[in-house]
Amino acid sequence: MKPVVMAGAGMIPFERRDDDTLIDMLAEAGLRAMDDAGLGDQPVDAVYVGNMASGLFNHQVSVASALVDKLSLYPAAAERIENGPASGGSAIKHGYQAIASGMADVVLVVGGEKMREVIGPRATDVVACMAQPEAEYIYGVSLPALAGMFARLYMKAYGITPEHLAQVAIKNHANGLLNPYAHIRARVTLEGILTHPDSKVGNPIVADPLRLYDCCPVSDGAAAVLLTTPEIAKKLSAKPAITVAGIGQATDTHALHERADPTDLKAVTIAAQKAFEMAGCKPADVDVAELHDAFTILEIAESEHAGFFKKGEGAKALAAGETQIGGKLPINPSGGLKARGHPVGATGVAQAVELVWQLRGEAGERQVKNAQTGFSLNFGGFGNNVVALVLRREK
Amino acid sequence: MRIDMELEAYLRPPDAPMPLYPAKVITLVTGGKMVVRQVFREDVPKLLPAVRPTLDIPRDYYDVVGARLYAELLAWQRYRYRDVFCIIGQVDGLLVGIVNSRMYSPQVGISLHTLAIERGLRVGAHLFAAKMEHHIEYLGQDEVLITAESPIGFRRWMIEYGLELREGQHELGGAAPYGLTREMYFDAKHRLVAGQRPVPPDLMEVAEREIIVASEQDIIEKILGARREIP
Amino acid sequence: MITAYKCKSCGQIMYPYHYRCINCGGREFESFVPSTKAKLLTYTVIEQLPWGFDERGRVLGVVEFSNKVRAMGLIDIDADTEEINIGMKLTATWEPVRDTYGEKIYGLVFRPA
Repeated sequence: MKPVVMAGAGMIPFERRDDDTLIDMLAEAGLRAMDDAGLGDQPVDAVYVGNMASGLFNHQVSVASALVDKLSLYPAAAERIENGPASGGSAIKHGYQAIASGMADVVLVVGGEKMREVIGPRATDVVACMAQPEAEYIYGVSLPALAGMFARLYMKAYGITPEHLAQVAIKNHANGLLNPYAHIRARVTLEGILTHPDSKVGNPIVADPLRLYDCCPVSDGAAAVLLTTPEIAKKLSAKPAITVAGIGQATDTHALHERADPTDLKAVTIAAQKAFEMAGCKPADVDVAELHDAFTILEIAESEHAGFFKKGEGAKALAAGETQIGGKLPINPSGGLKARGHPVGATGVAQAVELVWQLRGEAGERQVKNAQTGFSLNFGGFGNNVVALVLRREK
Repeated sequence: MRIDMELEAYLRPPDAPMPLYPAKVITLVTGGKMVVRQVFREDVPKLLPAVRPTLDIPRDYYDVVGARLYAELLAWQRYRYRDVFCIIGQVDGLLVGIVNSRMYSPQVGISLHTLAIERGLRVGAHLFAAKMEHHIEYLGQDEVLITAESPIGFRRWMIEYGLELREGQHELGGAAPYGLTREMYFDAKHRLVAGQRPVPPDLMEVAEREIIVASEQDIIEKILGARREIP
Repeated sequence: MITAYKCKSCGQIMYPYHYRCINCGGREFESFVPSTKAKLLTYTVIEQLPWGFDERGRVLGVVEFSNKVRAMGLIDIDADTEEINIGMKLTATWEPVRDTYGEKIYGLVFRPA
């Protein structure tokens, strides 16, 4: 396979965006990635759009064709890639394959979702549609509910406390304040979300044991990367080349109850292993990680399943500050899904955008020093389709 | 403007005796301390500048809520609206939300409006709960009638408080009225009503010294989210 | 009631139906109905439900039946006043679990045994 680089990265701030359509958001993010790469008038061969549910959220389908039209990128090939909340990660994988196989030289990958077009409970329902229809969805299960059932078992098995969960939220919201693209821009405190009696009201239960601040917000947003060959990238701009070093993907049972050990996120373990194997490195080589903290418990569980910490050690590392910016392995310097927001189809691409910025040294106040290898994990379904990515700045 | 007090005597409604709402302090998720306290007719001019910018914000029916609240505050100040009470939230003196309500009869309360200026910190939910607390616990009423202009707030309250549909119309003339009874209130209280009393004197002093109102631009940005232009 | 499946080649128990065994890929299954006795493996109390439910405090759980079938279902307990514990014994019934525009949808409902 031919080597592939991320020559450009860009995103729009995640927020509630009433005035723009999904296609506007995709176009704006796409242009930013194209301009960042210095693409100019060079043609784009293919466009992949990571998007979960434009049909349900926005009553619009064929959004990749619509994006090509909005950006006048004809006759570029165009597809929408749908893999639930890992649609963005999957779209990057497809872009990678197109270039690595030699079928394309320049690929634009855009992830986006406009969720706030519907009110909160409807968005919860659209997202819940990814659950097993007759064995889960009919009961009114939501993604926070699946995460709640998982959290109850995981916390018990590995001695994780509500304080650990709160520490994930506090860290990621603090990081989010350093990220101008983050949706939620508020510092939360342990007193405010956990220890003060008023926190029971101000940070209410969503799906026990998970509270509001254990869950990501519902956001609108889009992010994009431009993939190409190292040779073309060098001609386009002088920015450091960021190599797509490894991609791994793995699936697991649809229904949570069919996993022999429901606390074992097998797809995370396998996807991460595959990505590291392809990149020829190991978790210890990673300098910065963007994990899929749609729920606080997931950041801890994924940090263990991806191989950064032994099972039961992730929460300790968090409590010791090792996962803060400046710590041994900064996790979610962007603020993660928790603070940056989680427009489902955009997330996997936004994680890659953050890594590109971190690896180039362009992350401003939240810069992780001397980051050379970055890792991201995009968690689809409730862990039943996971995409892991290793990016590397070449010396 | 001189007022003809003889005519005024016909027009001014008599005020029913209403016990006062004891101030409380709520710790927000940020750790910020929100003082929740009752304000009175003479405070209205200080509140109006905070409501005015919402008149041009259609998002989430802020314009409808803001315009009606503005009119209700004026009418109350000038003795054209009876048995009204108004509660505000302040963080370090800054006005973050306003709620108003009134007594329809000694037994029945009418919830009027809830305006959250600071969003995302459950200020609106806390202040709505405070007015229910006042109706039921301090005014001793049996039931509060509630309706809403914004579909978001309405659904949340209906489900969180377990409200029941009532016959007839709410005096705001919009969607059907829902009732919150004493029993429902006390069932929901532990989940929905926060705060401690008394308010520490230093916090109370800051709140009472001045009702600080953010600039018009800040209020619009707090409600709409600031449009971030990132190069 | 639900139908569960036992793989004829490896004995793996499955619910819901898969065209191939999740363990060995086998395609022949013996279908059976779970017992009514179950124990609770995990649960959650949902305060913010998706569109379609005008309620709060709905309890959902994952159970294991005495004949090893696992499933998710509605736990008919008032979480505000009653105790819920992992491992508690439950009895299963088949009842409406949601109402979609007047149409009753049936599913597993569990109550303390």
